[in-house]
Amino acid sequence: MSTPTAMPASAEELRRRFDEHGYLADDGMATAVFLTLRLGLPLLLEGEPGVGKTAAARVLAEVLDAPLVRLQCYEGLTANEALYDWNHQRQLLAIRVAEARHQPLAEADLFSEEFLVERPILRCIRYDGPRPPVLLIDEVDRADDEFEALLLEALGEGSVTVPELGTFTARQPPIVVLTSNRSRELHDALRRRCLYHWLDYPEATRVVAILRRTTPAAGEPLLESAAQFVGRVRALDLDKPPGVAEAINWVAALAELGATELTREGVVATLGALAKTPDDRDHVLAQLDARALG
Amino acid sequence: MTTPSLLAGVDRAAFASAFGSRLRSDGVPVGVTGLAAFVDALAAAPPDRVPALYWLARVTLVSRHDDLPAFDRVFDAAFRDSVLAVDPQARRQELPASTPRDAEVEGRGAAEGCAGDLPWHTRASLVASEPTPEEEAGRVLPELLPSAVARIADTPMEELDPAELALLGRWLEESAHRWPTRRSRRVRVRPNGRRVALRATIAASRRTGWEPMRLQHYQPVRRPLTVTLVCDVSQSMQSYASAYLHLMRVFARTGRAETFAFSTSLSRLTPALAHRSVEVAIAQAEQRVVDRYGGTHLASCLRELLTSRHGQALRGGVLVVASDGWDSDPPELLAATMARLRRRSRRVVWLNPRAAAPGFEPRVGSMSAALPYCDAFLPAHTLRALPEVFDAIAGVSSRA
Repeated sequence: MSTPTAMPASAEELRRRFDEHGYLADDGMATAVFLTLRLGLPLLLEGEPGVGKTAAARVLAEVLDAPLVRLQCYEGLTANEALYDWNHQRQLLAIRVAEARHQPLAEADLFSEEFLVERPILRCIRYDGPRPPVLLIDEVDRADDEFEALLLEALGEGSVTVPELGTFTARQPPIVVLTSNRSRELHDALRRRCLYHWLDYPEATRVVAILRRTTPAAGEPLLESAAQFVGRVRALDLDKPPGVAEAINWVAALAELGATELTREGVVATLGALAKTPDDRDHVLAQLDARALG
Repeated sequence: MTTPSLLAGVDRAAFASAFGSRLRSDGVPVGVTGLAAFVDALAAAPPDRVPALYWLARVTLVSRHDDLPAFDRVFDAAFRDSVLAVDPQARRQELPASTPRDAEVEGRGAAEGCAGDLPWHTRASLVASEPTPEEEAGRVLPELLPSAVARIADTPMEELDPAELALLGRWLEESAHRWPTRRSRRVRVRPNGRRVALRATIAASRRTGWEPMRLQHYQPVRRPLTVTLVCDVSQSMQSYASAYLHLMRVFARTGRAETFAFSTSLSRLTPALAHRSVEVAIAQAEQRVVDRYGGTHLASCLRELLTSRHGQALRGGVLVVASDGWDSDPPELLAATMARLRRRSRRVVWLNPRAAAPGFEPRVGSMSAALPYCDAFLPAHTLRALPEVFDAIAGVSSRA
């Protein structure tokens, strides 16, 4: 009998536990996450927006009952925001205090752990809990390539080097999940250090199962027709085809309006949850009027 | 619980490296790190059926989405279509004859030498005389004299012969050194910056007994923009296509530009044009474009670019469209597409070789529909007109 928070013994068990926490993983996803846990390598998740990349990391933290540390990437993200920083204000104060007390001040006094500000990655490396934390580096393609190079040491060796203090090595390396929307090709050096999984949009039956899970209020006929409708909308030539996240929001919106089946009025009223540009909206409406979407 | 393993008694390292070399020979880049991870994965989760093996291999060995089709093909050929299994039971059976899918994998590259296919960028010569060996030799010689370039500076590009085109290509390589940049959110310590850099100030105060004597400052770093070039290779642009191909090659070589050609459909040329050798690059590019010298679907091709995944690269970048504006799609569609392109990119430059003709007016419906959305409209019909093009593309820096 294993405790519920123990490391899963197989990909199948991992999938079951993801299931219990409301995330329906397919074979590939379960294998990828299982290998991440067993091999201790970071996992790079790529896929269209809204197929559940970030959600996977969140659920993984829940499954393992470990803290989730999230680092949202943006352009210009530097070591000061991602790894560590020095508390310069306190350093200046310490200089003044030493001056007032006529105490000598050595460099080691100013650059000690007292003045070190931990940022997400260093926090994960120095984390001292029963289980390793889950570090989610979200949308790494939004950061610039200089930032990727910063990640290499932390991802490869599980350590962070602070020149003034030395190298911090993780007692238990964090479980790292990186997500990317492919708005930019990531560097090979980063890919080489990661397991890679490409997330596809799931097939209709799986979408129904996901929707059933997320929107229990919606009736079965609504769920099935909505999943098929989203599938047909995805087949249209849209600028932003709706992903699973849009489907979930849309069905929740329909359920909130008290719809029990798909009607034209219902679709038009909630279209903002599904089509995200004016062109897409017009296109879906035109297809709706032409009865091409059933 | 003991499930029968698919790979009982197999040397995992040998198995992984054999599969890895098979993948590599088929164009999937597999590194040693990936192979090591694959071996570890085989030990951590011994696969009991082929799909499990598939996911183990795919998650560990493939690291980019573009490689997935090739990986699937090799995997299917190795483990699904053949019974060339490591399982002794299967080994006793006779090997099946090679399946068509297998043959397809083995036969890759055989079709590359499509003989008898005329290079599409060479148009019928007006003089109707094939290039003599002397001319061929002259193309190889590095004759980069200013006079040689000056001689063709005012020649319309449609009248250049292959040797002059090669000269043009080399001249372009030397001229395209200016690149559009923008201010980024990244900062660097510089004397004339504006924001105070505390970290650098404290580090510098080390020299003055921890007394911060001089403030250090940050200044934003400038980053290169992405440039996207889209060239019309339809019938009406046939005579300029080869010169523009050389122009696009110069940009593709920098690694910061995306290049596309279109006639009835859009084809991406960047990987082909990025080759070091001019001849190979142009030859590869011509193989990619299957619909050369056809009709023009300008609006729908630009729309295709917008919705493709390279459409994201347009965001905040420079878009260069080389076309004469003849379009079989309705002008309203082009106007709508151009409006979206304009909103997405920082600058739109339109090159139209017909604009050089005296008395030219953009009367073609599509051209006049697109014009309001262009930041620059240039003829780019001769070599002398090209510096202006480089300026228009790079001129963004002043707007930032």
